[in-house]
Amino acid sequence: MTPYLELRNVSFSYRLGERVISGVSFFLERGDFVGILGPNGSGKTTLLHLVARLLPPDEGAILLEGKRVENFSRKSFARRVAVVFQEAPGHLDLSSFEVVMMGRIPYLSRWQRETRADEEAVEWAMRVTSTLPFAEEPFSELSGGEKQRVLIARALAQKPELLLLDEPTSHLDVVHQMEILSILRELVRMGITILGVFHDVNLVSQFCDKALFLKAGFLLRFGPVEEVMQEESLQELFGVSFLETTHPYSFRSFFMPLWRKEKEREKALIHVVGGGGSGIPIVRLLLEGGFSVSVGVVNEFDSDEAMATRLGLPVIRERPFSPIGEETFQRALELARKAQALVVAPTFWGWGNVRNLDLALSLCREGKPVFLFQECFREDRDYTQGEVKKKLEELVERGAEVLDHPRALLLALSKRGVV
Amino acid sequence: MTIKRRKRKKTVFLLLGFVAFVGVSIFFAQGVGRGRYSLFDSLALFGPQGLSPTERTILFAIRFPRILLSVLVGGGLALSGAVLQGLFQNPLVDPYVLGVSSGAALGAVVAMVSHVYFGLFTVPLCAFLSALGTAFLVFRLARVGRRMPLEVLLLSGLAVGFFFSALISLAMFLSGEDLHQVVFWTMGGFWNRGWQEVRMVLPFFAVGVPVLLSFGRELNAFLLGEKVAESLGIDVERLKQWLLFVISLLVASCVATSGVVSFVGLVVPHLLRLLGFQDHRLLLPLSFVGGGIVLLFADTLARSIIHPVELPVGVVTSLLGAPFFVYLLRRKKKGL
Repeated sequence: MTPYLELRNVSFSYRLGERVISGVSFFLERGDFVGILGPNGSGKTTLLHLVARLLPPDEGAILLEGKRVENFSRKSFARRVAVVFQEAPGHLDLSSFEVVMMGRIPYLSRWQRETRADEEAVEWAMRVTSTLPFAEEPFSELSGGEKQRVLIARALAQKPELLLLDEPTSHLDVVHQMEILSILRELVRMGITILGVFHDVNLVSQFCDKALFLKAGFLLRFGPVEEVMQEESLQELFGVSFLETTHPYSFRSFFMPLWRKEKEREKALIHVVGGGGSGIPIVRLLLEGGFSVSVGVVNEFDSDEAMATRLGLPVIRERPFSPIGEETFQRALELARKAQALVVAPTFWGWGNVRNLDLALSLCREGKPVFLFQECFREDRDYTQGEVKKKLEELVERGAEVLDHPRALLLALSKRGVV
Repeated sequence: MTIKRRKRKKTVFLLLGFVAFVGVSIFFAQGVGRGRYSLFDSLALFGPQGLSPTERTILFAIRFPRILLSVLVGGGLALSGAVLQGLFQNPLVDPYVLGVSSGAALGAVVAMVSHVYFGLFTVPLCAFLSALGTAFLVFRLARVGRRMPLEVLLLSGLAVGFFFSALISLAMFLSGEDLHQVVFWTMGGFWNRGWQEVRMVLPFFAVGVPVLLSFGRELNAFLLGEKVAESLGIDVERLKQWLLFVISLLVASCVATSGVVSFVGLVVPHLLRLLGFQDHRLLLPLSFVGGGIVLLFADTLARSIIHPVELPVGVVTSLLGAPFFVYLLRRKKKGL
């Protein structure tokens, strides 16, 4: 069986010797919704233009229903394949209806007037894209999202079987992006095949059936979204690591780019005592300030522990939901002694983690600067019937500094000569 | 759909109105001149039995062909301007961008200065051939592989135009004579033009105008961009070649018979766009009729304002048109 659209070893270059597309081969089934992903300048738009027959391939062949695209007559090709381009037209006084009607050009001969059938096609295209309410308004006076929908309607008026889109959501806000994508989903349900360039990884993973990765003109991967889109493949494509999670409603994969600029860590090592996520803002502040950070003691599966692990910080762990044992305490003390200062994050206190304060006390006795926050003293966070309060008061007596707010930490550190 | 029908009716009404206006204007213009005739006398066009031979000569051999020529030339230039502006998507384009005007002027100047003479048509014929030759030279220069990028075409036309203007100046400077005739010719005018000139341009108009008018839908697609037009199944390169070929013929015939009439081709389409006609299916016919009206009025003024002297019509169009255009531009500062 011949595939619906097939590219066989297609290559293209704008200038001799500078290949923009190199030996790309893949095929689409009827009704596929395919998202093309790739870094800027990887040839996504060029690939789309090749399929749209706007550029002739230097090598290879592009076949639609088994027939080379250049063998279709211009009009019959335009009745099968429609394109939505990235660039929006300039000032246009024509009404949206007239703009959409342009999609009927492939159906009209030179002197022919628009017929009933043309008007019905335009009406259908505008209904599908919810653009009928402003059919009579001038195109230029529409908002960005409305314009994009009218341009999609213009392509739909061609009654295409294959719809090619070049970054149809690139200038739109989040809501309008979703709106466009759900329109596209609806079109796929109607049996239209869609091949689109997208700049947003998650739009592809949420809405498309298949993904096509293009890098420097080469086809990196092509296949069902679940198979192709993974942390490693995305990293290979974009050169930045991604974190895969699951979308809470659709249960499809959701990817977060983990872009991290490594700062020079020239400043001193600071030990942070936290737990339950209280250490996260403190650690972030210190890292941004150029300090090195160690963490502990935290329980496994605690969010502070997860953060420290992900950031690759030295961390002392205790088993989940267990109080800090003697052996763990000694290891933590060893680690904390290497630090120039110790910070106690404003966490909740119970019998499980009270020994973290002993850690702070030990360092305080040894003369290391120790910092606390006003929030540490909140009685509603003390689940030890006053034991914690005693230890905190002792800390203050021995010279631990109490800060109003985490923001004051960097200044306080430099005042104490910890840089 | 009711939107559509109502609009179509409005369009037909508007066009008929413009055409009717041309008709009335022709009668009015007939009456203006040294021998003044009332509007009523102009009606004698339909029944010339009652007129004296002199009156017949003035009305039919002198005024009527001249009026007809001015309407045709004005219409042809404005229509060409509208098509080119649509094609180039550039508001600064006028029918002379292809170098046709300087080409025609060069041909005419060469004919005048070198005193070659092979009949009444010497100067127009030389101008026509030279204009066409220039247009094709520009096309050749602008061709890059299979394509003809519009920016390159624009610049080639400009370059060739400058070069030819320099040649004209050189020829005029070296000859030292016939200067007045040459200068007058380049300013454009309908002085002494009669049926021969009308007969000369008519075939080009009979073919060229309907062809250009038929491209309204395609030019509309150009409003969305060249690539969109191509994706709609329009053969963009062939369309360009066709339109430019037809326009070259049309404009060359205009320039050859009535010199370089400036302003009409640039401004009339603009005025209509400012008035809200962006749809080429309407803009093109309106430009043709509107350009005709404008040039007819300008010529009527040119031949009657300072009586026995005749002003070059190009001067009148620019003097009156430019301030009016600026006024419209300031009032409606939307993008062109």
